[in-house]
Amino acid sequence: MLRITNLEVVYCDIILALKGISMEVPSGKIVALLGANGAGKTTAINAVSGIRKTIDLSIEDGSIEFENTAISDKEPHEIVSLGILQVPEARRIFADLTVEENLLIGSYSLQDRSKFRQASDMVYEYFPILKKRAGQYAGYLSGGEQQMLAIARALVAEPKLMVLDEPSLGLAPMIVAEIFQIIERINREQSTAMLVVEQNANVALSIAHYGYVLENGRVVMEGPTEALRENKDIREFYLGLTEIGTQKSFRQVKHYRRRKRWLS
Amino acid sequence: MEKAMEIIINGLSTGAIYALLALGFVLIFKSTGILNFAQGELCMVGAFFCYTFATLLGLPYVAAFLIAIILGGLLGAVIDFLFFRRLVGEPIFSTIMVTVGLASVITSGAGLIWGHDVYSITAPFTDKTFVLGGVVLGRGALYTIGISILLFIVFVLFFNRSLLGVSMRGTSEDPHTAGLMGINVKKIHMLAWAIGSAVAVVAGIFLADQSFVRLPMSHTGIKAMSAAILGGMDSIKGAIVGGAIIGLVEGFAANYLSGMVVGGFHFGDVKDVTAFSIMILVLMIKPHGIFGKEKVERV
Repeated sequence: MLRITNLEVVYCDIILALKGISMEVPSGKIVALLGANGAGKTTAINAVSGIRKTIDLSIEDGSIEFENTAISDKEPHEIVSLGILQVPEARRIFADLTVEENLLIGSYSLQDRSKFRQASDMVYEYFPILKKRAGQYAGYLSGGEQQMLAIARALVAEPKLMVLDEPSLGLAPMIVAEIFQIIERINREQSTAMLVVEQNANVALSIAHYGYVLENGRVVMEGPTEALRENKDIREFYLGLTEIGTQKSFRQVKHYRRRKRWLS
Repeated sequence: MEKAMEIIINGLSTGAIYALLALGFVLIFKSTGILNFAQGELCMVGAFFCYTFATLLGLPYVAAFLIAIILGGLLGAVIDFLFFRRLVGEPIFSTIMVTVGLASVITSGAGLIWGHDVYSITAPFTDKTFVLGGVVLGRGALYTIGISILLFIVFVLFFNRSLLGVSMRGTSEDPHTAGLMGINVKKIHMLAWAIGSAVAVVAGIFLADQSFVRLPMSHTGIKAMSAAILGGMDSIKGAIVGGAIIGLVEGFAANYLSGMVVGGFHFGDVKDVTAFSIMILVLMIKPHGIFGKEKVERV
């Protein structure tokens, strides 16, 4: 469905942020994109969403295809109309608008306006709390509710592919678990493909079908989630587990880090 | 009592013009972040458009009115396309300087085309009066107030109910995210300029009815800016209320304060000073205006 091939991305003509990554999101599947800060995760999805001019990003090489059409030179609004909706990092809801108005803006790309009622009912079904808050200004919602609204705002456009940028950012573990359950349910019931960008590898791998690990602008590892969960390096560096599978204790003052088995 | 009534109606009709102009300011400022100093000039050009079609070409007044509005909207869209589309992301100072330059260009252009004389438009309601509770009032004032109120209702509904209106509000808050929702931000900016100029044209035509069609009528734009500041630069409701307040205060000041002698000090014509005095007071006491939002920035 979404295919990225040898993507090379440069900021301000000088900073090479992605050094040729290739990845694929098959339709109806959840794909996790993992990596530490500065690995290039957000850059990758900005390139997918067509945000180039405002952040001085340019695609030097490689291609991005969605349903076999090249989208690497399209404008953001054209990409949305193809069915790729982004849930931006740090939520970015419209704080001055009510919950309902936020959803209305989310539905901007719905061509058939009669579908809006039905779509917003569907969204309220996934996030019942938003229905209660429908008339409130979105700025007064709690962090978790805002994240739900950000997802709902993308979902109301009935996307084919949803790109979620760190949905767990700044939320309590309980809320994170709840939100990821809903994400999985949306994927299962609406068969929306998802590309989930996360630092929280544990929760992302709990719902994803396939995963990619990004480091310093390169894909250093990829595979089905089960394989990734078993991989020793992933366990050590991303899940914080020892070889026996117990959580690593920081009481062992002198612990020797495993050397990563990949080149980065 | 009758005099007060007359002042209120006339003050409100002037206030409606300020409010329309302020609405244009607010619309463009909210959507694009540009403080348009050429708003008064757009209003002046609008009056000249109407004059051209109604008086020079002899079209019916209503037709001339509508053509002028459409031309005004187009002018706004062209201005956005030619200048401000390229200036997205530039510092606010440069965009303001462009609008100041634009104001001079529009004035000179209008002077070249229509000349520097004083003209007038003959409207169906010119010089006709009506009597309300023993007070004789110009019918033009009534039309100005009525049509302005109608326009305000349309705008409030547009911005709160319609998809496009809500999208414009969202775009003004966060253009980046609006783009992620599939909104063509450039189109929204162009639309804001078109609507902002079109309401300025309406204001210009009503202003021409109250005075004349001439180049210096663009100075009203600066008074309207004080209305926008009083109401709050980012509030549509504020523009309307601010305009009405400035119009009323000006009317009362002109009638009661002008020519007053207080302790040997003789007040001259204070009418034109009131708007600016209010602006300065507001900026000192409540810089965000009546309905404006105080922006709290987190570091």
